[in-house]
Formats: sequence, C-alpha cells, structure tokens
Amino acid sequence: MSASGTPTTPKETLSNVNVTAALDVEGNFPLESVQIDGLVVLKIIKHCREFFPSPVTGQLLGLDVNGVLEVTNCFPFPGAKAEDENELVDGARYQVDMMRCLREVNVDNNTVGWYQSTYLGSFVTHKLIETQYNYQQTFNNKSVVIVHDVSRSTHSNLSLRAFRFSQAFMEAQKEDKFTTESLIKNKLTFSNIFEELPITVKNSHLVTALLHSLDDYEHVIPKSASLDKEKVVSPLSPNFDTLELSLDPYIEKNLEFLLESVEEHTQEQNTYAFWQRSVAREQTKIQVALQKRKQENVSRLASGLEPLPEDDIHKNHKLPAEPSRLDSLLITSQINNYCKQLNQYSGPTLGKLFISGELQK
Amino acid sequence: MSRFFRAKPASGIAAKSRFLKDVSDSEESDSDEKREVKSAKDKKLDALELSVKTIENAKKINEWVAIQNGNAKPLGTFGIPRIYIKTIASLEDFLNESLQKEKEAKKKMNATQAKALNSMKNKIKKIIRQFEDEVGKWRQNPILTEDEEIEDDEDLGEFVKSTKKSSIKKNNELYATEFNDEEGFEQVGKGNKPIEYTSENLFKKLREIMEARGKKNTDRLEQIKILQKLLGVAATPYQKIRVLLALIPAQFDYNPSMSNYMNVDMWKNTQEEIKQLLTILETNPHFIIREYVEEEVEDKEPVIESGQTFGIRGSIVSFIDRLDDEFIKSLQNIDPHTTDYVDRLKDETELYATIVRGQIHFEKNELNESTSRVVMRRLEHLYYKPDQVIQTVENTVNLLYPSGVSSSITPSEITQDSSVLIRALCVYLYKNGESLLRTRAMLCHIYHHALHNRFYTARDMLLMSHLQDNIQLSDVGTQILHNRTMVQVGLCAFREGMIKESQSCLQEICGTGRVKELLAQGLQIQKYSQLPPEQEKLDRQRQLPFHMHINLELLECAYLTCSMLLEIPAMAAAGSNPEARKKVISKPFRRMLDYNERQVFSGPPENTRDHIMGAAKALAAGEWQKCQELIGAIKIWDLMPETQKIKEMLNRKIQEEGLRTYLFTYSSYYTTFGLEQLSTMFSLPLNTVTSIVSKMIWNEELAASLDQINNVVVLHRVEPTKVQQLSLMFAEKAFSFVEANERTLEQKQLSGQNQRDQQRQKGQSNQQQNTEKRTTYQKRDGQQQRGRNNFNNVLGNSVRGRTQQNRYRS
Repeated sequence: MSASGTPTTPKETLSNVNVTAALDVEGNFPLESVQIDGLVVLKIIKHCREFFPSPVTGQLLGLDVNGVLEVTNCFPFPGAKAEDENELVDGARYQVDMMRCLREVNVDNNTVGWYQSTYLGSFVTHKLIETQYNYQQTFNNKSVVIVHDVSRSTHSNLSLRAFRFSQAFMEAQKEDKFTTESLIKNKLTFSNIFEELPITVKNSHLVTALLHSLDDYEHVIPKSASLDKEKVVSPLSPNFDTLELSLDPYIEKNLEFLLESVEEHTQEQNTYAFWQRSVAREQTKIQVALQKRKQENVSRLASGLEPLPEDDIHKNHKLPAEPSRLDSLLITSQINNYCKQLNQYSGPTLGKLFISGELQK
Repeated sequence: MSRFFRAKPASGIAAKSRFLKDVSDSEESDSDEKREVKSAKDKKLDALELSVKTIENAKKINEWVAIQNGNAKPLGTFGIPRIYIKTIASLEDFLNESLQKEKEAKKKMNATQAKALNSMKNKIKKIIRQFEDEVGKWRQNPILTEDEEIEDDEDLGEFVKSTKKSSIKKNNELYATEFNDEEGFEQVGKGNKPIEYTSENLFKKLREIMEARGKKNTDRLEQIKILQKLLGVAATPYQKIRVLLALIPAQFDYNPSMSNYMNVDMWKNTQEEIKQLLTILETNPHFIIREYVEEEVEDKEPVIESGQTFGIRGSIVSFIDRLDDEFIKSLQNIDPHTTDYVDRLKDETELYATIVRGQIHFEKNELNESTSRVVMRRLEHLYYKPDQVIQTVENTVNLLYPSGVSSSITPSEITQDSSVLIRALCVYLYKNGESLLRTRAMLCHIYHHALHNRFYTARDMLLMSHLQDNIQLSDVGTQILHNRTMVQVGLCAFREGMIKESQSCLQEICGTGRVKELLAQGLQIQKYSQLPPEQEKLDRQRQLPFHMHINLELLECAYLTCSMLLEIPAMAAAGSNPEARKKVISKPFRRMLDYNERQVFSGPPENTRDHIMGAAKALAAGEWQKCQELIGAIKIWDLMPETQKIKEMLNRKIQEEGLRTYLFTYSSYYTTFGLEQLSTMFSLPLNTVTSIVSKMIWNEELAASLDQINNVVVLHRVEPTKVQQLSLMFAEKAFSFVEANERTLEQKQLSGQNQRDQQRQKGQSNQQQNTEKRTTYQKRDGQQQRGRNNFNNVLGNSVRGRTQQNRYRS
C-alpha cells in the first residue's frame, strides 16, 4: 500500500516531469498518481483530529500535471453539521469566498478534489458517492477524494488514501441504473467501484533540510548536564510505539462494524430475494396465460378463426422492477474494506504477539 | 242490529247461546253466535265458502284462470274445514278429467287457460299431499264427511275440536287400512286403482322406481316402502339381489343433506339388508356383484349354466363405506355424554362384523380393490383401540360366523393377538393398496406401535417411510391421522421416559395453540376472523367421534412437563446472557411461565397448568422435592397406563434435571463441587451424578473436569472476551450470509435457465426440469436440517403443511 507512506524525504523521481508539463495543456494524460505536499498532509490531519470522531470534509487545491495530481494546498469546509438548507448555501458561499480570497493573495486556487475524514474505513457512503461523482464530472475525471482514517492513523501508520471512481462506475452512475444487467454491461463489481491512486508526499527542499537537521538531534540542541542522554530520543528515530499490544478495542470496533454491514447486506439480500420470488411468480403467470392463449388459438384455428396474438400477454403482465443494486454494491465494498483492515491489522499483530510471547519466556 | 247496541248484553247472550248449543234451536241463535264470534276464523270461513262457490261456477264453464285465483289457502291456526277438503278433492278429479279432455282436444284451450291448468295441476298435487289423510278419508266416505259438514254448519263453535278429533280418528282408520293393505298385498293408488306387487311384475316395478329415483317430485319414503314390499315378494335369489341393490342406496339417499345423519333404525335396517345381501351371495356363489359388467341386465331371470358366474352391476364396498360413514356421522352428532352415544357405539361390533364379512366375501371373489378398501375400513376401526377391546370384538365376530369361510389375510388364529392382526392388515395394504391407502395403513400401524410403547419401531417406521416429506400434499383427513400419530408417538416417548424426543414430537402440534383443530377434536373458536360457513361445515364433518379422541388435557400436561424438564435447565444455562436467553425450546411454556411470574399473588395450584408452573419454579430454585410433589399431585396422570411407573420416571428425571439446573446456576460461584455432596443433595446415586456431570462436560455445557482422586468437580471459569463473543457472532452471521447468498444464486440460475429455455423452445417440459431441480435442492436443504437437529424438524413438517393449507383456505 503506497497510500500509507510515511512522511519520508521526497524522491526525485519526477525530474523530467517539468519538461513535459508545459506540453500537457489540454490535460490528455489520465491521472496516475497523487503527490501531496507535506503541508497539506499536516493540515488535513490537524483538521480531522480536531473534529474527531465526527467526519469532516475539505477542499483540495493544486494542479494536475502530466498524469500526476499535485496537491499543494487545502482548506477545510465549515462544520459538517450543515443540515439546513441555509447552511448548505452558506457552505457553498464560503467555498466561493474562500477561493476568491485565496486568488487575491495569489495562492494556488485550482480545485482538484476534496478530502474526508473517516472512522475505521467506513467511508463508502451515498454521500461520498454523490459528492465525488459531482467532482469527477466537473473536473473531467481529474479529481480525487483523499480519505484520512484518524483512528487507524493513531493505531498504526498514517492512513491516507486517494480514490476516484472507475470509468465503469461513472457510466453506471450517469445512467443512474444499477440493475444486474447494467452491472454486467459495465463489468462492475464491488472491487472496481474505486480506483486507488498511489500517494507520494513531497516536501520542499527547505523542509527536507529541516527534517534532516531535526533528525540530527544532538547537533541542534546543545549538550547539557541536566538532560539525560538516555531519555532524549530523536523524534524521527525508531521507537517502540508500533509495538503496542492493546489490540482489543480496535478489533472489537472493526468487528462491530463488520457485523453491522453484514446485517445491512442481509436486508438487501432479502429485498432481492423478494424481488426474485415476485418475478418468478409473474413469470409463471405469464406462462399460464401463454399456455391458455395457445390452447385458445388451437381451438380458434379449428373453428376457422384468426389466432389471437401472443404479444399482448407480455404487455399485460409487467415484471416488477429490479431493486437498485447500488446499496448492496456499496455494502459489499464496505465489507471488503473492513475485512482488509482486519487482515492488515491482524498480520503484524500476530507477529507482535509471537515476539512478546518469546520475550516472556 | 248495530254492534254498539249489542255491546252491553253481549255476555248474557253468549252464555245463553252456549246453553242453546245442543238444542239446535233456531236460525237466530245460529246467526247470533256467528256474529258474536266474528273472529278471523269466521271471516276466513266465509271467504272460503265464497271462493268455493266461484270455483264451482268456474268449473262449469271450464274457466281455469278463475279456479286458480279462487283457490285461496284457508289455513289458519284452526283445523281444516271439511268444505275445503271436499273442494280440493273434487277439484283434483275434475282436473284429471279435464287433462284427459285436453289431450284429446288440445286446440280448444287458449294459452292463458292452459298455463293456469298446468300450474293448477302442480298446485293441487302439493295441496293433496298436504292433506293426504283427509282427502283419502273423504274419498272413502264422502257421505260421512258431508254429514260432518252439516254438523259444522250447525255448530261452528265446536268446529276446531271436532276436526281435531275426527282427524285423529281418521288417522287411526287410515293406519288400519294401510295395515290391511300390507297384509293383502293391495294398496290403493292415487287413481283409486289397486297396485299389486308380485314376483312377476317385480322387474317392471323395480325399473319404474329406478327411473323415478333422483327426480324432484319422487317421494323417497314411498319408494323405500315399495322396495321393501318388493323384497318381500321376491322369489328367486336374483330378484332379491336386484331389489336389495336398489333398496340399500335408496335408504342411503333418504337423507339428502350432508350434515344430518341417518336415522338409527333405518341404519340398522340397511345393515341387516347388507348382511342379507352378503348371505345371498355367499349361498349363491354364481352371482357376483361387480362395478363393471359388460352386458346390460335384462328384466328377466337370467339363465345360468352350471360352473358359470353371472355378474350383476353394483358395489357392495361402497355400501359398506357408506354404512361406516353414516355410523361415524351419527356418532359425530350424538352428544357423547349421553347413553345414546354408548348405545350407538354398541352397534360398532355389528358394523365391524359386516366389514369383516365383506372382506371375506371380496377375498373369495378376488375383488382386490374392494378388499383393500374394506381392509382399510377394518384397520381404521382397530388401530386406536386397546388390546382387550380388539380381542373382545374379534371374538364376538368369530362367534357370529363360526363356520363361515375364514379370511386368508386374517385367519382366525391371528385375530387373537391385536399386533399380529394389525400387522397382517397393514402388510396386505402395503402390498395391494393404492398409495393413499398405503400411507394411511402406515400411519395406523405406527399409531398402533406407539400405543404399545414401541417407540423405536414407531419412530423408525415414521422416518424410513419418509411420510413427513409429502404429508402436506395429502388430503386433510390423512393429515389429521398423521397428526394423531405424531401425538401418539410423542406420548409413547413420554411413557418411555424419553423426554427430549417426546417434546420434539409434541412441539409442532402443541406449540401452535390449535391442538383441537389439528387433531379434529372440536372446532377452534376463531378469535379475529370468522370462518366462512362452508369451511366450518367441512371442519365439522371432519371431526372425530368422541371415543377416538386423545385426551387433550393429558396431552398438554405431558407436553408441558417435557418442556419444563428441558426448559428450566436451559434457562439456567443461559443465565443472564441475553443472546442465549433468546433460544426458546417451548414458546407456550415460556409464555405461561412469564405470565405466572408476573402474577402478584399466586395461590395454591388448582389445575394442571398451575401445578406444572409451580413445579417449574420450584425446579428452577433447586427445590426438587417440592417439584416432585407438585407434579405428582396432578390427577390426570391416572389416565395413563401404569401411572406409578410414570410418576417414578418423572421423579427421577426431576432429580436429574434439578442437579443440572443447580450446576448451571451455581457453577460460577464455586471452584469445586464435591460429588458426594451433590449426590446427597439430590439423593441420586454417585454413579448417576458422575455420569450427568461427565455428560455436561462432554457437551461443553460445563467448563470443568473431574478429579477422580478427591471425588470433586473442578470448575474452570471461562468467559469469552468481547472479541471472542463478537467473533462467534460474526461466524454465525457469516454462515447465514453465505447460505443466503447461495440461495439467491440458485434462484438466479434457475430463473436464468428458465429464460434461456423459453427462448430455446418455449415448451413446458423444461419447467418440469426446473421443478425437479428445485425439489432436489429442497430435499438437500431438508437433509441438512435433519442432520443438524435430527428428529426435530422432520416430525413437524406435516403440521406446517396443514397450517399453510389453512392459510390458503382462509
């Protein structure tokens, strides 16, 4: 998972990008990766933590260059509690105002996407789908949503993931039709709703230098007798935080969510099964009617009359409409998320447990 | 004289007139009286006279419309005036006359007249039938009646009395003449013609009656009488057979409605006649009654060559069936708590004898279908009865036909042992019957096994026959029989001390709260919905006669006791765990217990339920002695055979379950239990205690281990962590999730296939395939279920089927 990359020193991989960047005015290159400034990462983390556990959103600003989406700035949206119509309008106005202000002070003000905080990966919601669809449509697929999972970040490594919709999902959403047929047509499954883009974090040279100097702790802070050398740990040097063993709450929460989604999915299944049954019922009805009509036709033919058409039976019997599969699709995707998280978490944890077991011997 | 004027002295005159009555004095008094009792009666009488006059006049000019109008009905609360009788009688004669005339010269009469004549013809017939006696009397002795008429004229006050008297007198006379008629084979027909029944014209008369049968205006009683007379004169066996074949159905048909039952005397007559028929057939083996006979029977004596048999159209088995049905119907309608019922029940032996005789007859003539039907009837008379009763009945039957041909299916040696007898009957049906009869025979056989405490045999038969798989497809009567069998199997398990099996057998039927309906032992009162009347009628017809009933209170008692013995330890095991508490073994028991616990004050137990609820509470609290006492105090146990043994069994079970409950409840508070102490606490032998504890450990109900050296149970306290709990829950959820998914997929494939098939050839044959697939899937599903909780689900299937059916019906 490249998404959960730690803030490392920027790699000089894209040195030749700048050369071709000027050529890509039309934006023909599809997005392939996301590059975030360290500043933006910190801002997102700060915003999300402050409002934890309620979910928050914000705007991402930057530019797409040659298939790389460079996110250079961001600003938060006002409180997520905007339920009222008025406040929603306020939110829109705030956005516009903010953009204007930023333009005036000559900061990057090109919208490239948005970010959202989440709790244990439960982000696959209708709201997200709608918003992201709007963004992606407006910005010609060059827009991403960055999902920051606060609780996961506190537990292990930083969780920052960039998503956008797959083309298939965009098609389906455009038609707003999620029947089995359209799913098959678009080859859409729960696993290809989103496309995840790799994230790289880029820092300016100045910041990199600072970090390096921070790492070299002893040079920055002069030695003094009062400081116990043992206790002073460089902030970026390896520590034991990751070896913490309190795993219950995390797994509990995860399981609870999982149970919830499974339950929801069962409901969806029931709806679907109900639909299936009613379809089957209708079909037998049609069959019976057809049979009857056939017999009638035989007798009519025998008595020299015109046979009645068989088409109107199909017209008369309407098959019930299939329920939208979007919900079950989303729920499945969500379940998939949870399962992945559990897997990701339990793998290293098992390792930790074995280590501690060995240690306690 | 005006009325006002006469008002005051009225009483005086009335008294006077009464005295004057016999003197037949003057016209004045006559008129006085007439005016005085100017009641509705008089008015009507006047009107009648008037209409009679019109009719007379109209008759003269052949004016039928007027006659029709004039023919008012003069009936009031008082008797029938002579004049009326006279008029209708003469009118009838005239009618017949003019009908004759009309035939000769039809064109003379116009349409309205003809119509009036026809309607008059019908009307008069009806009226004549109403006053048959009077008219007959009048015809016989017109003069006498004329006299009476005069008397009537003279003494209208006495009119009512005299008519009544005379009618009674007349009735007596009529009976007398009828009696005479019968002796001399002479009966007066409608047209004053004597009808004679002789052996010669028997076939002709028979044919006439057969043609009249079923028509609207035929008098069924009359027909039966004629047929009985014909039977009297029938000379040859052939004639007798023919008459009997007409007479028996005529008697069955006498009662047209389905709900009423046949008159007992008539039933007995019919039975005698069937017996007679069988006797004739037995003594004259060259006649065979079959349902299909090629040649049409002529109305003459057949010539039979020796060694040949002669087939006659008819069906004895249907007679026997009908006779049995009527018997059951009469039992359904007679109040079971009266002596009538017992008296009626005594006829069963006779009926049974007839059935056996029929069976022998069919066997001899190799009428296999009839044989199996009769054998089924016989079986249905036997299967629910205890040994002694069967033996007595069989002995009586054997005595009734001591030297007769014995049956090959049931030779008289085996009729002594009921089990052997029933086995023989069932085996015959398994081999020869149709599928319905086989099913019913199987159920009866199982019932019989269960009745004799052979639980394992009964259960194996039930499971091996796969009866439950499709019992819901069979008719309601068979389903009822199945329910009865299930209940009996459950009771059998109970008697044998197999509490769990018993509970699972009874669960489906007792758990519904519609026991009465499911066993057809009374109509359930519908709380919210009213049954449609036809439905109710059908239900009523299905009811079993009282002597076949399974005691519902005993049934409930057994069921609740089983539930208590299973539910109380289960509840203790569940403890305060809300998830586990949701798992209910017996809903009705839980409901009752909850209700009982909510009671502010519960008095001493009065009925069976109270006893069991009290016992359940005591058991939950560990007071097993009290529980034993309460259960032992239930009176209904006396209805079970070997009451003492059952009570002992229950006492032992209560001790064991008490121990289990105790262990469940208090295991969390101890680290060790002494086996010795447990044994003294529940006064169980040490071995039993050890085995119970071991079993609990093995079933993972108790986290403990046995310390053999110190003779203690060491408890290991374990409680799942939150994560473990959640994981368990999730595992369960995931399982059902997968299952649901599979089912959806299956459905999907089916429908997909369906559509494809339709496109391919639009035929119906594929549907069959599909249904086959579906059924195989269901079967697999069913097997899975069975695998999981082996005996439970299978047994209840049919009940569910029945309830579903009910739902469809209502």
